[in-house]
Amino acid sequence: MAQVPAAKDALAPGKAHHGTAAPQRQESPLLKVEQLEVAYGEVQVIWGVDMEVYDRQVVALVGSNGAGKSTILKTIAGALKPKAGRLIFAGQDVTGQSAADAVRRGIVLVPEGRQLFAGMTVHENLLMGAYARRDGKRAIREDLDWVYSLFPELVRKRGQLAGTMSGGEQQMCAIGRGLMGRPRLLLLDELSLGLAPVVVDRLVEIVTRIHRERNLAILLVEQDLNVALAMAERGYVLETGRLVRAGTAEELLADETIRTAYLGI
Amino acid sequence: MTQIVVNGLLTGGVYALVAVGFSLVWGVMNVVNIAHASYIMLGAYISYWLFHLYGWDPFLSIPVSMAALFVLGYLVASVVLNRVIRYGLVMTLVLTFGVDLILQNAALILWSADYRSITPSYAGASLAVGGVMIPYVRFAVFLLALVLVVLFSLFLSKTRTGNAIQATALNPFAAQLTGVRIDRIYALTYAIGAALAAAAGSMISVIYTIQPQVGNVFLTRAFVITVLGGLGSIPGALLGGVLLGLAESFATVTVGIGWSQAVSFGLLVLILVVRPQGLLGRRFFGGVG
Repeated sequence: MAQVPAAKDALAPGKAHHGTAAPQRQESPLLKVEQLEVAYGEVQVIWGVDMEVYDRQVVALVGSNGAGKSTILKTIAGALKPKAGRLIFAGQDVTGQSAADAVRRGIVLVPEGRQLFAGMTVHENLLMGAYARRDGKRAIREDLDWVYSLFPELVRKRGQLAGTMSGGEQQMCAIGRGLMGRPRLLLLDELSLGLAPVVVDRLVEIVTRIHRERNLAILLVEQDLNVALAMAERGYVLETGRLVRAGTAEELLADETIRTAYLGI
Repeated sequence: MTQIVVNGLLTGGVYALVAVGFSLVWGVMNVVNIAHASYIMLGAYISYWLFHLYGWDPFLSIPVSMAALFVLGYLVASVVLNRVIRYGLVMTLVLTFGVDLILQNAALILWSADYRSITPSYAGASLAVGGVMIPYVRFAVFLLALVLVVLFSLFLSKTRTGNAIQATALNPFAAQLTGVRIDRIYALTYAIGAALAAAAGSMISVIYTIQPQVGNVFLTRAFVITVLGGLGSIPGALLGGVLLGLAESFATVTVGIGWSQAVSFGLLVLILVVRPQGLLGRRFFGGVG
């Protein structure tokens, strides 16, 4: 298969891979998930999951409610410990890392349900996002300006308690807080959950802009296949803790069984 | 009348200092720290022994007792408390109660139940202002307590670590995701709570007689003040401390000293009925929206 630098081209329809979504190229993936198994106590919820995310790539993990998508993201972010399997980030084995270590390596999770510091102002929330950074006040200041330019609505609300804002504004603040950690890999969990379609459209647009302006890798989890594949170039489909399909956005959207199962068409 | 108010205010300063550390640990870690009583007692005994053995002025020994209890608090939190904190309020309550029993009984064995007191040369001196007596010691203690509370408040709001403590109080999961090592924050919070208790203990040793159970009565007051002022709120602890000091002072004069505990708990019940989040409870802190 031809070596093409840009991921989108490498995965153009017709050159599709079957069984694996990993593009054929020599560059090693930024994140490699190998045979991941995760359990809550005795109850295992993730079984033998293999995934890859390349640098500067947007990848979606889709599946129905309760499939284990958030569990995988939390495990990658260090908030949950895997039962078995390995996590390789930037060529380094990071299996079993703590959440605090993950952030310092550049893996930042924007969690499901926003999880803002409700009793702090928007501005304080954003600054907390930069807690683990050691690259100086000036770099943090620049990122802060950038985040406010992405979300102009947050500028007016900077002094407001985060817990008193609308769901959409809270989601923006949560994304902003995540970006303040200067991620190499941004994990977005259920961006669209409980938000009005017009707000979701705007968030999709902003995520695309973030990807374009910062060239970071994004792994996003969505229940809504259309929203997910509007942003991502590749996707994995998870069903009750196991990966069942992987492919380019186009392939997945064209797949009859997936459309029936996840789009209800 | 003025004398009653002055007495109440002066006592209130110490009460506030006793309550701040307790309120912090409760608000940030959701731990009702019974061992706070023992930390007060140990602080008092450290000042007592330094005074009797080496002639240290009790005000000078405050940093020593704070440092000692900071270390003890850090150890208790990182070695035992952090292991059970995820099992919730009852488990940690039992644990801190156990720590409290061990420390109090150790003190009883080591130092007996004798009442002891520190009597520096200036102990009885007081300033008379228009017929109102202001004992120097109590006034100094009041000011020092205020300074410590203000310094601590600045630490929480202005420093990176202080912000991490607040973030952990609000949402430990999210705090982790921003890179906060919450185990360390818990240990640090608990250690600061113990150090503040020790400072209060040292001050109490100058004003009251001490014995191994001296912390208990202050623990119940800390509890009342925390609920009165609002969980984890420093201005709340200050206001609650002063209010309780005043209430007890008035109760002593009007209905007799035996009723002062009844007044404390009456105040507690009243506030729970009228304003359960406390007088100065901050929104979203302590699980009260």
